[in-house]
Amino acid sequence: MPAEYSPTILQGQHTNDDEILAKTPLDTKALGGDSSVIIMELLQRFKVRDVMKRQIIAVARSTTLREAQRLMRENRISGLPVCEDGRLYGIVSVNDIINALDNGWIEDSCERHMATNLVVMEAGMPISFALRYFNNYTYGRFPVLDSNRKLVGILSQRDVMRALLYELSVEIRKLERKTAGNGPLRATGERYFRREWAVVRNDLSRAGHAANDIKVILRERKVARSVARRVAVAAYELEINICIHSHGGVLVLLISDDTITITAKDRGPGIPDIEWACRDGTSTANDWIRSLGFGAGMGLSNSKRVADSFDIQSEVGKFTKVTCTFNMVPPEPAPAEGGAS
Amino acid sequence: MTAAEICAAVKGTLAVEAEDAAANGVYVGDLLSDVMGHAGEDCVLVTIQNHLNAIAVCTLVGCSVVVLCHSRPVPPDMAEAAAREGVAIITTSLSQYAAALALSALPPAEH
Amino acid sequence: MTIADVVKILDGKLMAGDGNSPRAVGAVVANDLMSDVLLNDADDILLLTSLASDQAIRTAHIVGAMGVVVHNAKPLSETMLKVAADLGVPLVSSPLAKYDACVRLHDAFLAEERS
Repeated sequence: MPAEYSPTILQGQHTNDDEILAKTPLDTKALGGDSSVIIMELLQRFKVRDVMKRQIIAVARSTTLREAQRLMRENRISGLPVCEDGRLYGIVSVNDIINALDNGWIEDSCERHMATNLVVMEAGMPISFALRYFNNYTYGRFPVLDSNRKLVGILSQRDVMRALLYELSVEIRKLERKTAGNGPLRATGERYFRREWAVVRNDLSRAGHAANDIKVILRERKVARSVARRVAVAAYELEINICIHSHGGVLVLLISDDTITITAKDRGPGIPDIEWACRDGTSTANDWIRSLGFGAGMGLSNSKRVADSFDIQSEVGKFTKVTCTFNMVPPEPAPAEGGAS
Repeated sequence: MTAAEICAAVKGTLAVEAEDAAANGVYVGDLLSDVMGHAGEDCVLVTIQNHLNAIAVCTLVGCSVVVLCHSRPVPPDMAEAAAREGVAIITTSLSQYAAALALSALPPAEH
Repeated sequence: MTIADVVKILDGKLMAGDGNSPRAVGAVVANDLMSDVLLNDADDILLLTSLASDQAIRTAHIVGAMGVVVHNAKPLSETMLKVAADLGVPLVSSPLAKYDACVRLHDAFLAEERS
């Protein structure tokens, strides 16, 4: 449990801030509750200082309301802290400006009309706690003070949303990678590409189309030719394997910045002796499969041969899962083979 | 051409010997149904099919020499069947294309 | 040797794909087992096969082959022609057996070298 923080009321009464986002407060129950461990974890892990805006546009106590109005308009903000040497004296809001225009005191100093009844946040508060402020008070933004009571930032609901959405997208990518295979998990912001094909049992008229698609995708993405060919070979062999040996399954392509992963997973019947199955020339294929140009017992050994790393897992009666990973940078070219003669 | 000449031409190894094994033509094929349909009598079969059924097809079409390409191993049941049926098996590291060219340089067997 | 030359040398007929492709034959692979074709590392392969099925075309596309020849004038299905057209793989039908095709292509290579 984090330490309990309580709002710090400096002085005076609440006034309304017309920040638009204040009218759509975050529903912490919907975000948190017991619906998502990841979100709760994020809300705890992130502190106010991690997501607040550090560039503060502020005015001095002697600044006129007209000058404050100009700053708000130019910066498209609805409130300005009144602050000198880091010490926070008050906040001037759009409401204060409207009142000043109505009542003819727009040339007065901010100090005379600013709100001094402030609710502030502390920089070390977890976001989960900050969200309660947005619910319990109607302000759209809060000044953030450090442990020395100095103004160090401003936090709006928009800042929280942006940070949460960004982190969630990173978490979702990680989850997708985990489900897609054993591709490496990496830090934030990585670009990636994922596509999946269903492979139907015994449908040799379609078998191979996923591998052909993959080849086209890799070519479009300008993957080195030698790498693209090896990836496509593995994809083809694994696709044919699913088609002729299993009850059906999926083929998944995952491209990250520096690796390409092909994962083939089927719904059984599983391989009793993996070592035997991976050996060259061993096959359980029947004559029908052989007559179609496959079943020479080279599928698994071929895909192992072309991959930079190879993994196979199988449980009899349940599934077989093969993962081939390729480095984006091709290895040193082997000496050219044969030629035409 | 005799099995020995064929073996020398493809720089191969005689894996299964057979008396009087010789050929008068060449057929290159890996699909056994295709071999059955098109290979002529007295052909040497150039293939990659290291399978028992390849010997069965050889007996059907009357072919007494098999050249197994790409150094494919000969499984024991295939070797036994070949010995029983009088079919010689030669293994070579060559591809089917290269083996075909090597054999095309040989003169046909005399009758 | 382009695919147009191959058609002539093998008394063949172009069934699908671009017959005017400028790509030259880099290596000849005579094989009916597609796993074995996939093992090959050569570029610009001309695939000679008796396998008259989509898989021959799909395999050729995977290894970046410059063309496919199907032997013994085997009938080619509509879907095979369509796959070849879709994937842009020139497909040739030849009445020759694979062995005779190998020998003719080899002779043509030798003639090419001499000229």
